Amino acid sequence: MIDLQGYGPRLIEGAGVTVQLAVLSLILAIILGLLTASAKMSRNWFLRRTATVYTTLIRGVPDLVLMMLLFFGGQIGVNAISDMLYYSYDIDIYINFNAFAAGVLTIGFIFGAYMGETFRGAFMAVDNGQIEAGKAYGMSSGLVFRRIRFPQMMRHALPGLSNNWMVLLKTTALVSVIGLTDMVRVAAEASRATHEPFTFLLPVAVAYLLIASVSEWIFARLQKHYDIGFGGQ
Amino acid sequence: MAATPTPLEVRNIKKRFGDTEVLKGLSLQAQKGDVITLIGASGSGKSTFLRCMNLLEQPDDGDLIVHGEPIRFKTTKHGREPEDWKQVVQMRAKLSMVFQSFNLWAHMTLLENIIEAPIHVLKKPKKEALEHAHALLDRVGLTARANAYPAQMSGGQQQRGAIARALAMDPEVMLFDEPTSALDPELVGDVLKVMHGLAEEGRTMVVVTHEMGFARDVSSQVIYLHQGLVEEAGPPDQVLGNPQSPRLQQFLAPKY
Repeated sequence: MIDLQGYGPRLIEGAGVTVQLAVLSLILAIILGLLTASAKMSRNWFLRRTATVYTTLIRGVPDLVLMMLLFFGGQIGVNAISDMLYYSYDIDIYINFNAFAAGVLTIGFIFGAYMGETFRGAFMAVDNGQIEAGKAYGMSSGLVFRRIRFPQMMRHALPGLSNNWMVLLKTTALVSVIGLTDMVRVAAEASRATHEPFTFLLPVAVAYLLIASVSEWIFARLQKHYDIGFGGQ
Repeated sequence: MAATPTPLEVRNIKKRFGDTEVLKGLSLQAQKGDVITLIGASGSGKSTFLRCMNLLEQPDDGDLIVHGEPIRFKTTKHGREPEDWKQVVQMRAKLSMVFQSFNLWAHMTLLENIIEAPIHVLKKPKKEALEHAHALLDRVGLTARANAYPAQMSGGQQQRGAIARALAMDPEVMLFDEPTSALDPELVGDVLKVMHGLAEEGRTMVVVTHEMGFARDVSSQVIYLHQGLVEEAGPPDQVLGNPQSPRLQQFLAPKY
Protein backbone atom coordinates (compact mmCIF):
# COMPACT_ATOMS: atom_id res chain seq x y z
CA MET A 1 0.00 0.00 0.00
CA ILE A 2 1.24 3.47 -0.89
CA ASP A 3 2.10 5.67 2.05
CA LEU A 4 0.26 8.94 1.46
CA GLN A 5 2.05 10.51 4.43
CA GLY A 6 -1.07 11.93 5.96
CA TYR A 7 -2.32 13.55 2.76
CA GLY A 8 -4.97 10.86 2.20
CA PRO A 9 -7.97 12.67 3.69
CA ARG A 10 -7.11 15.91 1.87
CA LEU A 11 -6.73 14.05 -1.41
CA ILE A 12 -10.14 12.48 -0.94
CA GLU A 13 -11.57 15.88 -0.11
CA GLY A 14 -9.94 17.23 -3.27
CA ALA A 15 -11.46 14.42 -5.31
CA GLY A 16 -14.84 15.42 -3.88
CA VAL A 17 -14.25 18.99 -5.05
CA THR A 18 -13.31 17.74 -8.50
CA VAL A 19 -16.44 15.61 -8.84
CA GLN A 20 -18.79 18.30 -7.51
CA LEU A 21 -17.23 20.91 -9.72
CA ALA A 22 -17.44 18.70 -12.77
CA VAL A 23 -21.06 17.62 -12.21
CA LEU A 24 -22.36 21.12 -11.45
CA SER A 25 -20.47 22.53 -14.43
CA LEU A 26 -21.95 19.80 -16.62
CA ILE A 27 -25.47 20.68 -15.52
CA LEU A 28 -24.87 24.36 -16.24
CA ALA A 29 -23.24 23.51 -19.58
CA ILE A 30 -26.21 21.36 -20.62
CA ILE A 31 -28.67 24.13 -19.77
CA LEU A 32 -26.59 26.74 -21.60
CA GLY A 33 -26.08 24.33 -24.49
CA LEU A 34 -29.82 23.74 -24.91
CA LEU A 35 -30.44 27.48 -24.80
CA THR A 36 -27.64 28.14 -27.29
CA ALA A 37 -28.91 25.48 -29.68
CA SER A 38 -32.45 26.90 -29.48
CA ALA A 39 -31.13 30.42 -30.03
CA LYS A 40 -29.13 29.31 -33.06
CA MET A 41 -32.17 27.66 -34.58
CA SER A 42 -34.46 30.57 -33.73
CA ARG A 43 -35.75 32.85 -36.45
CA ASN A 44 -34.98 35.84 -34.25
CA TRP A 45 -31.93 37.55 -35.70
CA PHE A 46 -30.68 38.92 -32.37
CA LEU A 47 -30.79 35.53 -30.62
CA ARG A 48 -28.94 33.82 -33.47
CA ARG A 49 -26.30 36.54 -33.48
CA THR A 50 -25.80 36.42 -29.70
CA ALA A 51 -25.39 32.66 -29.74
CA THR A 52 -22.85 32.85 -32.55
CA VAL A 53 -20.80 35.49 -30.75
CA TYR A 54 -20.87 33.35 -27.62
CA THR A 55 -19.65 30.18 -29.29
CA THR A 56 -17.02 31.98 -31.37
CA LEU A 57 -15.69 33.77 -28.31
CA ILE A 58 -15.45 30.61 -26.24
CA ARG A 59 -13.87 28.53 -28.93
CA GLY A 60 -11.30 31.20 -29.72
CA VAL A 61 -10.02 32.01 -26.22
CA PRO A 62 -8.04 29.59 -24.04
CA ASP A 63 -9.98 28.12 -21.09
CA LEU A 64 -7.35 29.28 -18.63
CA VAL A 65 -7.58 32.89 -19.78
CA LEU A 66 -11.38 32.80 -19.60
CA MET A 67 -11.26 31.33 -16.13
CA MET A 68 -8.97 34.04 -14.80
CA LEU A 69 -10.95 36.74 -16.58
CA LEU A 70 -14.18 35.56 -15.01
CA PHE A 71 -12.69 35.04 -11.56
CA PHE A 72 -10.80 38.33 -11.27
CA GLY A 73 -13.34 40.21 -13.34
CA GLY A 74 -16.10 38.72 -11.21
CA GLN A 75 -14.45 39.89 -7.99
CA ILE A 76 -14.02 43.39 -9.42
CA GLY A 77 -17.66 43.40 -10.48
CA VAL A 78 -18.86 42.25 -7.07
CA ASN A 79 -16.69 44.86 -5.38
CA ALA A 80 -18.06 47.58 -7.61
CA ILE A 81 -21.59 46.58 -6.73
CA SER A 82 -20.94 46.51 -2.99
CA ASP A 83 -19.17 49.90 -3.21
CA MET A 84 -22.13 51.29 -5.06
CA LEU A 85 -24.51 49.91 -2.44
CA TYR A 86 -22.38 51.38 0.35
CA TYR A 87 -22.07 54.88 -1.10
CA SER A 88 -25.59 55.18 -2.49
CA TYR A 89 -27.69 53.32 0.03
CA ASP A 90 -25.35 53.00 2.99
CA ILE A 91 -25.65 49.25 2.86
CA ASP A 92 -22.42 47.67 4.06
CA ILE A 93 -21.84 44.21 2.71
CA TYR A 94 -18.75 42.44 1.60
CA ILE A 95 -19.16 39.61 -0.84
CA ASN A 96 -16.25 37.35 -1.46
CA PHE A 97 -16.45 36.09 -5.00
CA ASN A 98 -16.44 32.41 -4.24
CA ALA A 99 -13.76 30.45 -6.09
CA PHE A 100 -15.93 27.35 -6.35
CA ALA A 101 -18.81 29.30 -7.87
CA ALA A 102 -16.38 31.00 -10.23
CA GLY A 103 -15.05 27.60 -11.27
CA VAL A 104 -18.53 26.20 -11.93
CA LEU A 105 -19.57 29.34 -13.80
CA THR A 106 -16.48 29.43 -15.98
CA ILE A 107 -16.38 25.76 -16.85
CA GLY A 108 -20.13 25.67 -17.39
CA PHE A 109 -19.89 28.76 -19.55
CA ILE A 110 -17.07 27.31 -21.65
CA PHE A 111 -18.66 23.93 -22.19
CA GLY A 112 -22.09 25.42 -22.76
CA ALA A 113 -20.72 26.65 -26.08
CA TYR A 114 -19.50 23.19 -27.09
CA MET A 115 -22.73 21.59 -25.90
CA GLY A 116 -24.63 24.13 -27.97
CA GLU A 117 -23.03 22.82 -31.14
CA THR A 118 -23.59 19.22 -30.09
CA PHE A 119 -27.28 19.83 -29.36
CA ARG A 120 -27.86 21.87 -32.50
CA GLY A 121 -26.61 19.06 -34.70
CA ALA A 122 -28.64 16.55 -32.72
CA PHE A 123 -31.86 18.57 -32.97
CA MET A 124 -31.41 18.91 -36.69
CA ALA A 125 -30.98 15.14 -37.03
CA VAL A 126 -34.52 14.51 -35.72
CA ASP A 127 -36.89 13.66 -38.56
CA ASN A 128 -39.26 16.54 -39.15
CA GLY A 129 -42.19 14.17 -39.68
CA GLN A 130 -41.94 13.12 -36.03
CA ILE A 131 -42.35 16.73 -34.94
CA GLU A 132 -45.15 17.40 -37.42
CA ALA A 133 -47.03 14.42 -36.04
CA GLY A 134 -46.78 15.96 -32.58
CA LYS A 135 -48.10 19.30 -33.81
CA ALA A 136 -50.86 17.65 -35.81
CA TYR A 137 -52.10 15.92 -32.66
CA GLY A 138 -52.53 19.16 -30.79
CA MET A 139 -49.29 19.22 -28.82
CA SER A 140 -48.02 22.63 -27.75
CA SER A 141 -44.42 23.38 -28.66
CA GLY A 142 -43.39 22.73 -25.06
CA LEU A 143 -45.03 19.32 -25.13
CA VAL A 144 -43.49 18.49 -28.51
CA PHE A 145 -40.09 19.37 -27.03
CA ARG A 146 -40.53 17.30 -23.89
CA ARG A 147 -42.16 14.24 -25.42
CA ILE A 148 -40.63 14.04 -28.90
CA ARG A 149 -37.84 16.45 -29.77
CA PHE A 150 -35.76 15.95 -26.64
CA PRO A 151 -35.96 12.14 -26.34
CA GLN A 152 -35.25 11.70 -30.05
CA MET A 153 -32.46 14.24 -30.07
CA MET A 154 -30.61 12.62 -27.18
CA ARG A 155 -29.44 9.58 -29.12
CA HIS A 156 -27.69 11.88 -31.57
CA ALA A 157 -26.32 14.13 -28.84
CA LEU A 158 -24.95 11.51 -26.46
CA PRO A 159 -21.70 10.66 -28.27
CA GLY A 160 -20.75 14.36 -28.41
CA LEU A 161 -22.07 14.93 -24.91
CA SER A 162 -19.96 12.16 -23.45
CA ASN A 163 -16.92 13.46 -25.29
CA ASN A 164 -17.49 16.96 -23.94
CA TRP A 165 -17.93 15.55 -20.45
CA MET A 166 -14.56 13.79 -20.56
CA VAL A 167 -12.83 17.00 -21.65
CA LEU A 168 -14.78 18.98 -19.04
CA LEU A 169 -13.72 16.58 -16.30
CA LYS A 170 -10.07 17.13 -17.12
CA THR A 171 -10.53 20.87 -17.49
CA THR A 172 -11.50 21.04 -13.82
CA ALA A 173 -7.81 20.55 -13.05
CA LEU A 174 -7.30 24.18 -14.12
CA VAL A 175 -9.23 25.53 -11.13
CA SER A 176 -6.18 25.42 -8.90
CA VAL A 177 -5.05 28.68 -10.54
CA ILE A 178 -8.01 30.48 -9.00
CA GLY A 179 -7.29 29.02 -5.60
CA LEU A 180 -9.61 26.03 -5.50
CA THR A 181 -8.25 22.99 -3.75
CA ASP A 182 -9.14 20.15 -6.05
CA MET A 183 -7.30 16.85 -5.99
CA VAL A 184 -4.64 18.03 -8.45
CA ARG A 185 -3.73 20.93 -6.25
CA VAL A 186 -3.48 18.72 -3.15
CA ALA A 187 -1.29 16.28 -5.06
CA ALA A 188 0.95 19.07 -6.33
CA GLU A 189 1.38 20.51 -2.82
CA ALA A 190 2.11 17.10 -1.39
CA SER A 191 4.62 16.32 -4.14
CA ARG A 192 6.49 19.53 -3.51
CA ALA A 193 6.56 19.02 0.23
CA THR A 194 7.66 15.39 0.15
CA HIS A 195 9.66 15.30 -3.09
CA GLU A 196 7.74 12.17 -4.05
CA PRO A 197 5.63 13.21 -7.02
CA PHE A 198 4.62 9.73 -8.13
CA THR A 199 3.21 8.79 -4.75
CA PHE A 200 0.59 11.50 -5.17
CA LEU A 201 0.16 11.98 -8.88
CA LEU A 202 -0.37 8.32 -9.73
CA PRO A 203 -3.37 7.95 -7.39
CA VAL A 204 -4.76 11.15 -8.88
CA ALA A 205 -4.39 9.75 -12.40
CA VAL A 206 -6.11 6.56 -11.28
CA ALA A 207 -8.92 8.56 -9.68
CA TYR A 208 -9.55 10.43 -12.94
CA LEU A 209 -9.56 7.15 -14.82
CA LEU A 210 -12.03 5.73 -12.36
CA ILE A 211 -14.40 8.66 -12.75
CA ALA A 212 -14.04 8.42 -16.52
CA SER A 213 -14.83 4.69 -16.51
CA VAL A 214 -17.89 5.13 -14.34
CA SER A 215 -19.15 7.89 -16.62
CA GLU A 216 -18.55 5.81 -19.71
CA TRP A 217 -20.68 3.10 -18.19
CA ILE A 218 -23.43 5.63 -17.42
CA PHE A 219 -23.29 7.05 -20.94
CA ALA A 220 -23.48 3.57 -22.45
CA ARG A 221 -26.64 2.93 -20.40
CA LEU A 222 -28.14 6.24 -21.51
CA GLN A 223 -27.30 5.53 -25.13
CA LYS A 224 -29.05 2.20 -24.87
CA HIS A 225 -32.07 3.88 -23.34
CA TYR A 226 -32.37 6.55 -26.03
CA ASP A 227 -31.70 4.08 -28.86
CA ILE A 228 -34.83 2.10 -28.04
CA GLY A 229 -37.06 1.97 -31.06
CA PHE A 230 -34.30 2.87 -33.48
CA GLY A 231 -33.16 -0.67 -34.16
CA GLY A 232 -30.48 -0.33 -31.52
CA GLN A 233 -31.77 -2.92 -29.10
CA MET B 1 -82.30 19.00 -32.24
CA ALA B 2 -79.94 21.92 -32.56
CA ALA B 3 -77.98 22.16 -35.76
CA THR B 4 -74.44 20.92 -35.24
CA PRO B 5 -71.75 23.23 -36.57
CA THR B 6 -69.97 22.25 -39.77
CA PRO B 7 -66.93 20.21 -38.70
CA LEU B 8 -64.55 21.81 -41.17
CA GLU B 9 -64.82 24.67 -43.57
CA VAL B 10 -62.06 26.39 -45.52
CA ARG B 11 -62.60 29.36 -47.78
CA ASN B 12 -60.43 30.80 -50.48
CA ILE B 13 -57.11 29.38 -49.27
CA LYS B 14 -54.06 30.83 -51.00
CA LYS B 15 -50.49 29.81 -50.52
CA ARG B 16 -47.25 30.64 -52.23
CA PHE B 17 -43.77 29.20 -51.83
CA GLY B 18 -41.39 31.91 -52.97
CA ASP B 19 -42.44 32.94 -56.45
CA THR B 20 -44.77 30.02 -57.11
CA GLU B 21 -48.36 30.30 -56.14
CA VAL B 22 -49.32 26.73 -55.27
CA LEU B 23 -52.86 27.34 -54.02
CA LYS B 24 -54.85 29.97 -55.84
CA GLY B 25 -58.00 30.18 -53.78
CA LEU B 26 -59.40 26.82 -52.68
CA SER B 27 -62.51 26.20 -50.65
CA LEU B 28 -64.07 23.13 -49.15
CA GLN B 29 -66.81 22.30 -46.72
CA ALA B 30 -66.96 18.99 -44.89
CA GLN B 31 -70.34 18.25 -43.29
CA LYS B 32 -70.64 15.54 -40.71
CA GLY B 33 -70.15 12.15 -42.34
CA ASP B 34 -68.70 13.55 -45.57
CA VAL B 35 -65.79 11.80 -47.22
CA ILE B 36 -64.08 14.27 -49.50
CA THR B 37 -61.29 13.02 -51.71
CA LEU B 38 -58.75 15.33 -53.27
CA ILE B 39 -57.20 14.03 -56.45
CA GLY B 40 -54.81 15.52 -58.95
CA ALA B 41 -51.36 15.15 -60.43
CA SER B 42 -48.32 15.68 -58.21
CA GLY B 43 -47.70 19.39 -57.92
CA SER B 44 -51.40 20.19 -58.13
CA GLY B 45 -51.31 21.40 -54.52
CA LYS B 46 -53.54 18.75 -52.96
CA SER B 47 -51.18 17.84 -50.10
CA THR B 48 -50.39 21.48 -49.40
CA PHE B 49 -54.11 22.20 -49.31
CA LEU B 50 -54.63 19.43 -46.77
CA ARG B 51 -51.71 20.67 -44.67
CA CYS B 52 -53.24 24.14 -44.61
CA MET B 53 -56.34 22.67 -42.97
CA ASN B 54 -54.50 21.95 -39.71
CA LEU B 55 -51.99 24.75 -40.22
CA LEU B 56 -48.92 22.59 -40.71
CA GLU B 57 -48.58 25.08 -43.55
CA GLN B 58 -49.63 28.67 -43.01
CA PRO B 59 -51.97 29.86 -45.76
CA ASP B 60 -51.24 33.37 -47.03
CA ASP B 61 -54.91 34.13 -47.33
CA GLY B 62 -58.30 32.54 -46.67
CA ASP B 63 -60.43 31.41 -43.74
CA LEU B 64 -60.36 28.28 -41.68
CA ILE B 65 -63.37 27.40 -39.57
CA VAL B 66 -63.28 24.31 -37.39
CA HIS B 67 -66.50 23.20 -35.68
CA GLY B 68 -67.96 26.64 -36.22
CA GLU B 69 -64.98 28.45 -34.74
CA PRO B 70 -62.98 30.66 -37.10
CA ILE B 71 -59.20 30.65 -36.59
CA ARG B 72 -57.90 34.17 -36.01
CA PHE B 73 -54.90 35.36 -38.01
CA LYS B 74 -52.58 38.32 -37.80
CA THR B 75 -49.93 39.66 -40.14
CA THR B 76 -46.33 39.81 -38.93
CA LYS B 77 -43.06 40.51 -40.69
CA HIS B 78 -42.78 36.75 -41.26
CA GLY B 79 -46.12 36.75 -43.07
CA ARG B 80 -49.58 35.74 -41.97
CA GLU B 81 -49.71 33.79 -38.74
CA PRO B 82 -52.31 32.56 -36.30
CA GLU B 83 -53.03 35.18 -33.69
CA ASP B 84 -53.33 32.70 -30.87
CA TRP B 85 -51.36 29.46 -30.99
CA LYS B 86 -53.44 28.06 -28.13
CA GLN B 87 -56.45 28.22 -30.40
CA VAL B 88 -54.48 26.38 -33.10
CA VAL B 89 -53.41 23.68 -30.66
CA GLN B 90 -57.04 23.16 -29.58
CA MET B 91 -58.16 23.11 -33.20
CA ARG B 92 -55.56 20.53 -34.16
CA ALA B 93 -56.69 18.22 -31.39
CA LYS B 94 -60.04 18.04 -33.19
CA LEU B 95 -58.52 17.10 -36.54
CA SER B 96 -56.23 14.13 -36.59
CA MET B 97 -53.90 13.57 -39.48
CA VAL B 98 -52.65 10.38 -41.07
CA PHE B 99 -49.39 10.96 -42.93
CA GLN B 100 -47.96 9.43 -46.07
CA SER B 101 -44.86 8.31 -44.19
CA PHE B 102 -46.87 7.24 -41.10
CA ASN B 103 -44.77 9.31 -38.66
CA LEU B 104 -45.47 7.08 -35.72
CA TRP B 105 -43.17 8.25 -32.95
CA ALA B 106 -40.14 6.05 -33.29
CA HIS B 107 -39.14 6.01 -29.62
CA MET B 108 -42.50 4.72 -28.43
CA THR B 109 -44.22 1.38 -28.81
CA LEU B 110 -47.38 1.26 -30.87
CA LEU B 111 -49.51 1.28 -27.72
CA GLU B 112 -47.59 4.26 -26.32
CA ASN B 113 -48.08 6.05 -29.64
CA ILE B 114 -51.81 5.60 -29.40
CA ILE B 115 -52.23 6.79 -25.81
CA GLU B 116 -49.71 9.64 -26.07
CA ALA B 117 -51.91 12.47 -27.30
CA PRO B 118 -55.11 11.36 -25.50
CA ILE B 119 -53.20 11.46 -22.19
CA HIS B 120 -51.07 14.53 -22.71
CA VAL B 121 -53.30 16.63 -24.95
CA LEU B 122 -56.84 15.55 -24.09
CA LYS B 123 -55.87 14.82 -20.45
CA LYS B 124 -57.67 11.50 -20.46
CA PRO B 125 -57.03 9.20 -17.51
CA LYS B 126 -54.44 6.59 -18.46
CA LYS B 127 -56.71 3.66 -17.75
CA GLU B 128 -59.40 5.00 -20.05
CA ALA B 129 -56.85 5.77 -22.78
CA LEU B 130 -55.46 2.25 -22.55
CA GLU B 131 -58.88 0.66 -22.81
CA HIS B 132 -59.70 2.74 -25.85
CA ALA B 133 -56.29 1.96 -27.38
CA HIS B 134 -56.76 -1.77 -27.01
CA ALA B 135 -60.18 -1.58 -28.64
CA LEU B 136 -58.68 0.38 -31.54
CA LEU B 137 -55.77 -2.03 -31.93
CA ASP B 138 -58.27 -4.83 -32.16
CA ARG B 139 -60.19 -2.91 -34.76
CA VAL B 140 -57.17 -2.37 -37.03
CA GLY B 141 -55.98 -5.93 -36.42
CA LEU B 142 -52.81 -5.09 -34.52
CA THR B 143 -53.47 -6.43 -31.04
CA ALA B 144 -50.42 -8.68 -31.32
CA ARG B 145 -48.17 -5.73 -32.19
CA ALA B 146 -49.12 -3.47 -29.25
CA ASN B 147 -45.66 -3.54 -27.75
CA ALA B 148 -43.71 -3.38 -31.00
CA TYR B 149 -41.75 -0.29 -31.98
CA PRO B 150 -42.61 1.26 -35.36
CA ALA B 151 -39.25 0.18 -36.82
CA GLN B 152 -40.21 -3.42 -36.14
CA MET B 153 -43.46 -3.18 -38.08
CA SER B 154 -44.23 -3.36 -41.80
CA GLY B 155 -45.40 -0.24 -43.60
CA GLY B 156 -48.97 -1.47 -43.71
CA GLN B 157 -48.95 -2.22 -39.99
CA GLN B 158 -47.47 1.19 -39.24
CA GLN B 159 -50.15 2.92 -41.27
CA ARG B 160 -52.96 0.97 -39.62
CA GLY B 161 -51.34 1.82 -36.29
CA ALA B 162 -51.25 5.47 -37.32
CA ILE B 163 -54.97 5.30 -38.10
CA ALA B 164 -55.58 3.85 -34.64
CA ARG B 165 -53.56 6.74 -33.19
CA ALA B 166 -55.74 9.18 -35.12
CA LEU B 167 -58.96 7.50 -33.96
CA ALA B 168 -57.84 7.63 -30.33
CA MET B 169 -58.36 11.40 -30.46
CA ASP B 170 -62.08 10.99 -31.29
CA PRO B 171 -61.52 13.53 -34.03
CA GLU B 172 -64.17 15.72 -35.62
CA VAL B 173 -62.46 15.26 -38.95
CA MET B 174 -59.70 12.92 -40.08
CA LEU B 175 -57.20 14.21 -42.60
CA PHE B 176 -55.41 11.61 -44.73
CA ASP B 177 -52.35 12.69 -46.70
CA GLU B 178 -51.77 10.03 -49.37
CA PRO B 179 -52.02 7.26 -46.77
CA THR B 180 -51.20 4.43 -49.17
CA SER B 181 -48.59 6.04 -51.41
CA ALA B 182 -45.59 4.84 -49.43
CA LEU B 183 -46.84 1.25 -49.16
CA ASP B 184 -45.95 -1.85 -51.12
CA PRO B 185 -48.85 -2.75 -53.40
CA GLU B 186 -49.78 -5.87 -51.45
CA LEU B 187 -50.12 -3.84 -48.23
CA VAL B 188 -52.41 -1.17 -49.66
CA GLY B 189 -55.54 -3.32 -49.39
CA ASP B 190 -55.47 -3.69 -45.60
CA VAL B 191 -55.17 0.05 -45.09
CA LEU B 192 -57.94 0.82 -47.58
CA LYS B 193 -60.17 -1.72 -45.86
CA VAL B 194 -59.77 0.08 -42.55
CA MET B 195 -60.52 3.42 -44.22
CA HIS B 196 -63.57 1.93 -45.91
CA GLY B 197 -64.88 0.89 -42.53
CA LEU B 198 -64.36 4.41 -41.17
CA ALA B 199 -66.27 5.92 -44.05
CA GLU B 200 -69.12 3.48 -43.51
CA GLU B 201 -69.48 4.33 -39.84
CA GLY B 202 -69.92 7.97 -40.78
CA ARG B 203 -66.51 9.47 -39.99
CA THR B 204 -65.88 12.84 -41.54
CA MET B 205 -62.78 12.50 -43.68
CA VAL B 206 -60.72 14.52 -46.12
CA VAL B 207 -58.47 12.23 -48.11
CA VAL B 208 -55.69 13.08 -50.53
CA THR B 209 -55.25 9.95 -52.60
CA HIS B 210 -54.21 8.34 -55.85
CA GLU B 211 -56.53 5.38 -55.22
CA MET B 212 -59.30 6.04 -57.73
CA GLY B 213 -61.18 2.92 -56.68
CA PHE B 214 -61.36 4.20 -53.11
CA ALA B 215 -62.42 7.65 -54.31
CA ARG B 216 -65.18 6.12 -56.42
CA ASP B 217 -66.49 3.76 -53.75
CA VAL B 218 -66.56 5.87 -50.61
CA SER B 219 -66.44 9.59 -51.40
CA SER B 220 -69.39 11.86 -51.04
CA GLN B 221 -67.43 14.41 -53.02
CA VAL B 222 -64.39 14.28 -55.29
CA ILE B 223 -62.34 17.37 -55.96
CA TYR B 224 -59.91 17.37 -58.86
CA LEU B 225 -57.17 19.97 -58.44
CA HIS B 226 -54.97 21.32 -61.18
CA GLN B 227 -52.23 23.86 -60.53
CA GLY B 228 -53.74 25.12 -57.31
CA LEU B 229 -57.30 25.49 -58.58
CA VAL B 230 -60.40 23.28 -58.49
CA GLU B 231 -60.86 21.99 -62.01
CA GLU B 232 -63.84 19.76 -61.30
CA ALA B 233 -65.76 18.85 -58.17
CA GLY B 234 -68.84 16.85 -57.39
CA PRO B 235 -70.12 13.39 -56.54
CA PRO B 236 -67.80 10.59 -57.68
CA ASP B 237 -70.05 9.18 -60.41
CA GLN B 238 -70.09 12.64 -61.98
CA VAL B 239 -66.43 13.62 -61.58
CA LEU B 240 -64.91 10.18 -62.09
CA GLY B 241 -67.67 8.68 -64.23
CA ASN B 242 -68.23 11.55 -66.58
CA PRO B 243 -65.24 13.92 -66.51
CA GLN B 244 -65.77 17.12 -68.46
CA SER B 245 -62.35 18.68 -68.85
CA PRO B 246 -59.81 17.08 -71.20
CA ARG B 247 -57.23 17.32 -68.43
CA LEU B 248 -59.26 15.23 -66.01
CA GLN B 249 -60.14 12.80 -68.79
CA GLN B 250 -56.47 12.35 -69.43
CA PHE B 251 -55.68 12.10 -65.71
CA LEU B 252 -58.19 9.28 -65.34
CA ALA B 253 -57.25 7.46 -68.53
CA PRO B 254 -55.38 4.16 -68.16
CA LYS B 255 -51.65 4.93 -68.17
CA TYR B 256 -50.59 1.88 -70.16
